[in-house]
Amino acid sequence: MIKSKKIFWVLSILLILSLTLVGCGGAKDEPAPKEEAKKEEAKAPAALKIGFLGDLTGDTAMYGQNTLDGMKMAVEDINGAGGVLGSNFEIVEADHRYDKAEAANIVQKFVNSDKVIAVIGDPTTGITKATAPIINQGNVVQISAGATGPGVVEIGPYIFRNTLLDSVGGPTTMDYLVNELGWKKVALITAVNNDFSVGLSAIFKEGILKNGGEVVIEESVQDGDTDFSGQVTNVKKSGAEVIVFSGYYTEGGLIMKEVRKQGMSDIIMVGGDGLQAPTFWELGGSAVEGSVSYAGFSPEQPTPEVEKFIERFKAKYGKAPDLFHAQGYDAVMLVAEAIKNANSADPKVFKDALAKIQDYPGVSGNTSFDANREPIKSPVYLLQVKDSNWTLLKKVPVKK
Amino acid sequence: MDFTSNFIVQLINGIALGSTYALIALGYTMVYGIIMLINFAHGEIYMVGAFVGLALVTVFKVHIIIAFLGAMLFCMLMAVSIEIIAYRPLRRSKRLAALISAIGISIILSNLVNLLVGPKPQTFPPIEEILFEIKSYDLIAGAQINTLQILLIVVSAILMIGLQYIVKRTKVGKAMRATSQDYDTAALMGINVNRIISYTFAIGSALAGAGGVLVGIYFGVVKYNMGMLPGMKAFTAAVLGGIGSIPGAMFGGIILGVIEMMTVAIGLSSYRDAIAFGILILVLLIKPTGLFGKQIFKKV
Amino acid sequence: MTLLNGLLPPYIESIAITVGIYIIMALGLNLITGVTGQLSLGHAAYMSIGAYASAIVSLQLGMPFIFALLAGGIAAGIFGLIIGYPTLRLTGDYLAIATLGFGEIVKSLLFNMPIVGGAMGLAGIPYKSTLTVTFILVVIVIWMMLRVERSRFGRALLAIREDDIAAECYGINTSLYKVKMFVLGTFIAGIGGALWAHKIMVLQPRDFGFMKSIEILNMVVLGGLGSIPGTVLGAIVLTSIPEVLRFSSDYRMLLYGALLVIMMRFRPNGLLGGVDVTKLVKKSIKSITGSNFTNKEKKKVKGGD
Repeated sequence: MIKSKKIFWVLSILLILSLTLVGCGGAKDEPAPKEEAKKEEAKAPAALKIGFLGDLTGDTAMYGQNTLDGMKMAVEDINGAGGVLGSNFEIVEADHRYDKAEAANIVQKFVNSDKVIAVIGDPTTGITKATAPIINQGNVVQISAGATGPGVVEIGPYIFRNTLLDSVGGPTTMDYLVNELGWKKVALITAVNNDFSVGLSAIFKEGILKNGGEVVIEESVQDGDTDFSGQVTNVKKSGAEVIVFSGYYTEGGLIMKEVRKQGMSDIIMVGGDGLQAPTFWELGGSAVEGSVSYAGFSPEQPTPEVEKFIERFKAKYGKAPDLFHAQGYDAVMLVAEAIKNANSADPKVFKDALAKIQDYPGVSGNTSFDANREPIKSPVYLLQVKDSNWTLLKKVPVKK
Repeated sequence: MDFTSNFIVQLINGIALGSTYALIALGYTMVYGIIMLINFAHGEIYMVGAFVGLALVTVFKVHIIIAFLGAMLFCMLMAVSIEIIAYRPLRRSKRLAALISAIGISIILSNLVNLLVGPKPQTFPPIEEILFEIKSYDLIAGAQINTLQILLIVVSAILMIGLQYIVKRTKVGKAMRATSQDYDTAALMGINVNRIISYTFAIGSALAGAGGVLVGIYFGVVKYNMGMLPGMKAFTAAVLGGIGSIPGAMFGGIILGVIEMMTVAIGLSSYRDAIAFGILILVLLIKPTGLFGKQIFKKV
Repeated sequence: MTLLNGLLPPYIESIAITVGIYIIMALGLNLITGVTGQLSLGHAAYMSIGAYASAIVSLQLGMPFIFALLAGGIAAGIFGLIIGYPTLRLTGDYLAIATLGFGEIVKSLLFNMPIVGGAMGLAGIPYKSTLTVTFILVVIVIWMMLRVERSRFGRALLAIREDDIAAECYGINTSLYKVKMFVLGTFIAGIGGALWAHKIMVLQPRDFGFMKSIEILNMVVLGGLGSIPGTVLGAIVLTSIPEVLRFSSDYRMLLYGALLVIMMRFRPNGLLGGVDVTKLVKKSIKSITGSNFTNKEKKKVKGGD
């Protein structure tokens, strides 16, 4: 017994030591003492730091990487034009490999060590909700460029998002599907391990039923699956006239390919803005021709800002931008706009200016924030794939 | 479509999916049979195979059959080097040490590909451009099978029969069986065990590489994290069949694929994994060494 | 009670809590895999059961944190019993795959259960896992582990790990011990999960995938199977490495993988595998204090053995 007690104490001491060691190691990352920083400020204003919160190596790496690329271009543009209030923007990036514990550590670092003024991210609702309380408490602005699910901006006055909400685009699209395209029998496919898809499916279903349509079959897939043959066979059997899919472009493209492979040559896919990426037709090829989705902007009738963005994006990255690129770009631009309007780079001040932004002509759509700080992108565009590109089907204004 | 035709279509879907599991499962089972290692990096080797095939077809513009063989060769060489670097020094250590080493290799491979290619899914050129037009053939009762499914099933079958021939009829195969039965005695009998283990890794990984390219053609997409899930399913399939047994891995793969498809067919697609793994656990409880596994008696 | 909170910079405090949670989880797995020798690839499943159960207690019943913690541990322990009782008859890697399968089943069911929010999960869980609470729990769990290791029970377990047939011959009811250990290990995993839930504040099924189980297993094996200080060290090292490597965000996970391979290459028995930490500490104390050690004290040390 004596021995075990001793080990116990030795271990406790080891534990404390190691925790302090980790502490000392990490402390080095902290910025220089305040006095020095103040001196520097007097000479030239320090760069305004923006944190990128996202996944670069895990399951959602695609969305994280694209958001970051969009942000990088925005920062380049802002700094090229002389910065905001005389200071340049600087991105602090950190990869959380889709791990919530790591994401929580990262935002603590952003808020307390890096002293960022804003955090852009996470593209997923789950990690946004896990990090928002910490960021809000640290009095830093967060703009998620991708979280569409419920319960995000309610977390606090510093929390924003720059997305086309499901509750805006979903009902509009289903109304058009049932009443104008005249399809009543719908096969609804959900990516069951994707919260975005699960949330959107509920809204789609409500929209279909409200307009007098019928969901003849509900199928589940998983993000990351490549084999959809079983589900598609069931859809074929059900006699559905159209496939409504609430997930992302990778699975969407592959599902349509399987649909054509099984000999259904005229059925199309209708989906959310999760389908908005060139990957959709790169994977689906001719199978996704005619597919419909909604978005906050139309590539066919681009505003000058959008046109310029697409052109410069292609020149920089050698590919067409997708939804996450555009939302990441806009998120940084919205922060810059708010700082300009507030004439202050203090998050406590410019968060109110951000909440007041109306009709900002972003590349991901015309953006306003409502009284609850929820984004409203109006009008909503219904788009259709033609010759591997989105073409305009209908423009629907949104009530504010 | 009536019930029978639907059943047959789903059965074919399941066999096609199961063939891909089986090709990967064979590598797991061979390596396990010979050095008792769950080679976690095996799924990533399958992924690398798919990328090598893609690069050969799109960048070097070679014929798909050459790309197929090229991917197999690349995976062979890669797996043999991995074995020498990461597993051989640990052969006499605790088995879990080699397992962790394999996990490390798996993390390295998938992140390396992510770094080189990026997280975006890459598209395989459409099958019409590189091989043939997809046609569907009628089977009984209105059920159909298409050329891609036939290709996948036939190529997998040829590879598995080839493997069975190597293991049962050749000298190397005999040495492999001897080594897997008793490592030390095999060495005493003059078998160069290190070389035989290298052969085992080479053959198993060639099959995984072939599987990667086949799946790339079949689904038209390759991704840096595509190895993870099929790797896990294939390992499960190998255990279901009785790990260490080559026919067990083949049938285990196909049975797992068919179970998954049947779950989807009866409308429980969201419980697909739960039911597949539930059946696995049941099988193990009834027959603790898998369907084809031999009863192992422990020497006291 | 709030002794330690706010002592460290918030970023470090956050990491320290994460380290603490992983230490608890790894110690639970060490009991199953390290001490009893049953390879489990589904530890994250018990963690998720504990996390969800505790979150429900906090959110739905609004009970104090201590009840949430216990609920998490008990729920995970019950599932440990249900799963452990039939499957522990399986040997070696068949058990490994059964536990892996169970992990996937739990994840799949969580995705399909509206009561726990499906893919959207549970949010708004109160923040309770402060550094003080985590630290106290880590100390309690380590103390429990040491008690188990030094008891008759622990010696029986070691015998099972080394040779279960011989152990059976000496009259040890091996399957009973295995099940008991499994339940205790999963109970601790549940406590870890409850702590996790009340730190992260949001739970989603995909947080508890196969890779999470593997991460915990890495800690146990890397530290040294069966060694309590080793497991603690493994958890500290593997949780801090990704943070330490943050300077090279592109190569971070690549380096992590390479470190696993290299460490196994040079320390195949784990960092502290085969090292008797007590002896080491005593030796170093002796060498420092040297002749100052009085005879009386020496006797006392001897008596302890």
